[in-house]
Amino acid sequence: MKHFFILLALSFSVLTSAQNNAFKGGENLTFTAGYSMSGLMTDFAEVTMATSDVKTKSGTLLRLKTKATTYSKWDNFFKIRDLYESYVNPKTLTPYLYKRDINEGGHYKFVKYNFNHKTRTVKSLIRKKSKNFASGFWDKNETVKISSGTKDIVTTIYHLRTLDIKKASVGDSDTFQVLFDNKEMRFRFTYAAKETINTALGKKECYKLRINLINNNALKGNDNFVWLTADENKIPVYAKFKVAIGSGELKIKSATGLKN
Amino acid sequence: MRLLFIILGLISAIFAVILSVLPLSNFAYFPAIAALIFGIIAFIKTRETNKPKHTIQLIFLLTIISLALTTYKSVTATTEVGDTEQLEQRAQDSEEDAIEELNDIDISE
Repeated sequence: MKHFFILLALSFSVLTSAQNNAFKGGENLTFTAGYSMSGLMTDFAEVTMATSDVKTKSGTLLRLKTKATTYSKWDNFFKIRDLYESYVNPKTLTPYLYKRDINEGGHYKFVKYNFNHKTRTVKSLIRKKSKNFASGFWDKNETVKISSGTKDIVTTIYHLRTLDIKKASVGDSDTFQVLFDNKEMRFRFTYAAKETINTALGKKECYKLRINLINNNALKGNDNFVWLTADENKIPVYAKFKVAIGSGELKIKSATGLKN
Repeated sequence: MRLLFIILGLISAIFAVILSVLPLSNFAYFPAIAALIFGIIAFIKTRETNKPKHTIQLIFLLTIISLALTTYKSVTATTEVGDTEQLEQRAQDSEEDAIEELNDIDISE
């Protein structure tokens, strides 16, 4: 039994994080989000992921900012202006503050998490528009218990890039806890293969990782993948998600300010 | 049978026109091709029975309009983001608020 646990711990630690050698403040990645059905593709939004250094009285933090904006032709039908932010420790990527400010087709929602890693709690604020309140907003304050190592969704994407995948072998997997809508979700990333794919950045050798959502059914099936370049930067160049009809895609358009 | 193909063709053609004016215009090819196939079958059936062809002509006309519009849009469409001024402002305000909040935290971990 003891050997089993050691083996289990070893197999999970294969993908565990090393120091952050993948990115630094000033990096800017731009993606095109699209929907594909029977080979026909429609681009509908631009997603940007940017990092920047933020100086506070207690030290320098890394700001991870992700924006999603629909293309102008879609704005009259379904306008999306989403902003996801996370303020993390630049070395360990421990999140301190996470904000999600979404505006999708007239639907507004604001979520703020203040992480306290000592007490393993998150002070959460969820704000929605409501005509029943004088301020015009409905606020819900809550304190959520989290597990050790729980991160927000933005930090998890960046954390994936710090994993030492070159030491892992095909089939190795790692599970991450992600706090989303005040619930802890468990994502499992499995190293599926090493593939060379054509991207806007050129032909790139990539690590293909399978994504599974363990305790939630938001991601359907077993065909959700993300491709990270098999170099030190581990840029997510392509991602594919199965939806009810067709599939959603995220393709890299440009990458600037890379660390390596 | 002839009537069935005319109805199917007409529905597909109308659907193709609707899709072609939406931002989802790329997907108008599917109903447009279906409308063409139904239209051709209906046309052959009509020729055999010597009945009026006006509705079939309408199917072809709508299909051609939708195909022309879709092709035009796919050639000329530019994928540029709309107005992001408000979003940029929100991002900037959010950073200022965050710095204020993060001034007192312990980042030893």
